[in-house]
Amino acid sequence: MKIIKDKVAKLSFVALLLSMTAAMFYTPTASAHGEKSQAAFMRMRTIHWYDLNWSKDELNVNETMTVSGKFHVFAGWPETVDKPEVSFLNIGIPGPVFIRAGSWIGGQLVPRSVSLELGETYEFKVLLKARRPGDWHVHTMMNVEGGGPIIGPGKWVTINGSMGSFVNPIVTLTGDTIDLEKYAIDSIYFWSFLWYAIGLAWLLYWVKGPMFIPRALAVQAGKADTLISAGDKKIGVAFGLGTIIFVAVTMGTTNEKYPVTTPLQAGLMRGIQWLEIPESTVHVKVEDATYRVPGRAMQMTLTIHNGGDTAVRLGEFNTASVRFLDPDVLEDESGYPDDLLAEEGLTVSDNSPIAPGESRTVNVTASDAAWEVYRLADLIYDPDSRFAGLLFFFDADGNRQMSTVDAPLIPSFM
Amino acid sequence: MSASQSAVRSRAEAVQVSRTFDWMILFTLFTAVLGGYHIHYMLTGGDWDFWSDWKDRRLWVTVAPIVSITFPAAVQACLWWRYRLPVGATISVLALLLGEWINRYMNFWGWTYFPINICFPSNLVPGAIVLDVVLMLGGSMTLTAVVGGMAYGLLFYPGNWPIIAPLHVPVEYNGMMMTLADLQGYHYVRTGTPEYIRMVEKGTLRTFGKDVAPVSAFFSAFVCIIIYFLWHFFGRWFAKTDFISDDAS
Repeated sequence: MKIIKDKVAKLSFVALLLSMTAAMFYTPTASAHGEKSQAAFMRMRTIHWYDLNWSKDELNVNETMTVSGKFHVFAGWPETVDKPEVSFLNIGIPGPVFIRAGSWIGGQLVPRSVSLELGETYEFKVLLKARRPGDWHVHTMMNVEGGGPIIGPGKWVTINGSMGSFVNPIVTLTGDTIDLEKYAIDSIYFWSFLWYAIGLAWLLYWVKGPMFIPRALAVQAGKADTLISAGDKKIGVAFGLGTIIFVAVTMGTTNEKYPVTTPLQAGLMRGIQWLEIPESTVHVKVEDATYRVPGRAMQMTLTIHNGGDTAVRLGEFNTASVRFLDPDVLEDESGYPDDLLAEEGLTVSDNSPIAPGESRTVNVTASDAAWEVYRLADLIYDPDSRFAGLLFFFDADGNRQMSTVDAPLIPSFM
Repeated sequence: MSASQSAVRSRAEAVQVSRTFDWMILFTLFTAVLGGYHIHYMLTGGDWDFWSDWKDRRLWVTVAPIVSITFPAAVQACLWWRYRLPVGATISVLALLLGEWINRYMNFWGWTYFPINICFPSNLVPGAIVLDVVLMLGGSMTLTAVVGGMAYGLLFYPGNWPIIAPLHVPVEYNGMMMTLADLQGYHYVRTGTPEYIRMVEKGTLRTFGKDVAPVSAFFSAFVCIIIYFLWHFFGRWFAKTDFISDDAS
């Protein structure tokens, strides 16, 4: 019996080792940034990204591309998320596979945090320079203090070449041209390892003689004072004074070598210019809204009033970066990511042109697998079960007007 | 061989066993301190030590010495009062720096491609050596706390200046002035570390004009004295051998 038990134990151990080894060889690519895990209400009711453009799908190391477009800071910002009074325009990429060569909001360079106004729309652009080869998911992203990262749509971009050839030339205000990728690395290694060697020398001085047992016995025997000799003290003074003098001297020589240095720069940037968009003449009232769980569809009853002077039709519902289009009105030609585009996802009970001055109540259905794939259906489990989004109306000439919707959402489980 | 007989049969053998114990204990101490100190420092110093654009003249100078004098004080307490070895601070800092360099090189650079010139660790060696020397010469915890602790805080910024000075050279970038360190933080994208998290140049220390670093260093040095006392007692408490029965000897 004991032999059988031992064999079972041994085989179990071998099986465990094999499983662990096999698990180590299974390394699937992490290909997204958790955008689907972010609470649906945050994606629907905070920052709405639209008119996005990724200038390239493929580029070589050292080449640049831009991600540009607009974002609307939603007026119905949720109470559970801090207001975007301190925000930072980021880019959602897996580490520095690109460098951020520039980023602008409203034409202003924004290397620092900015203050955004609720209800306003901003134009932005991020200039990226390719650094590391691979296929990377490039997302728009806004970090909000107290709210966390609010990630926008992502698109796959391929970088070809070798990271070894990446260069990042910068001209300093002292007139030197440096490659920031490799700048001062030799100096960092030199000073760090020189000081490590000095510390090691002090340690080795004490390690060369007997250490723990004989010294512990001597201390217990009341002979602790005999363990530090006059020679030890001289060496100690040399190390101590030498260290202080060396620090002072190297600081002086460094100041001579770099006579012009400035403190790190920091601060919040206010007064960022938003887009001056004429007020929409199309007014939308949400009568009711339900999410039908089995059908993966959201149905809204909207009363639309056209206060303008041209007839309009509803062409797009944009929420949480998912675009539901009515193909009779709008076709996407921007190369928007497929998984976020429901080209035939928008159905309107009567989408004939709404004449100037006319009010019409219509049933609008936004249906697509994206509700599930992007976990927007999880909205029904959120603490504040409301939905929000942008509606885009178009006249016969293709002129566009934007309206926002923000209303309670009732789930339907049948 | 009975239990009362010695395991060694000559003085030479005793010396050899003693040296073997020395190396085993030293290795164990080094790696244990490396682990514990590294976690402690990452949790308390964290981003100030990780990134060049956090290494400012105000908060980095203040925070890094205060949170890093902890383990050196505790290990000194054990090694000095038990063995009269004045290497506690140096061994702690060398262990920490080894762990940090492995982390920065393997993870920050090797895994996530941040160049070493943005993510190098701070230099803590000068303060540690002086802390050990003061303990050895004075043999007093109070003197070490006051003189050594103060030196530990004061030496931090000048000890690091040759490393960070090149990164504080100014640059004009798209119409804004920033240092090369600021530019590194902007260029090398950190999705989880947005700019507003950066705690640099904050506070009300504005009456000293541009000479903020010495004032911050003095403040840090004073707090280091207090932290030294606290952690020295932690070290003494951890170095107790009350759990070993006298019968064992």
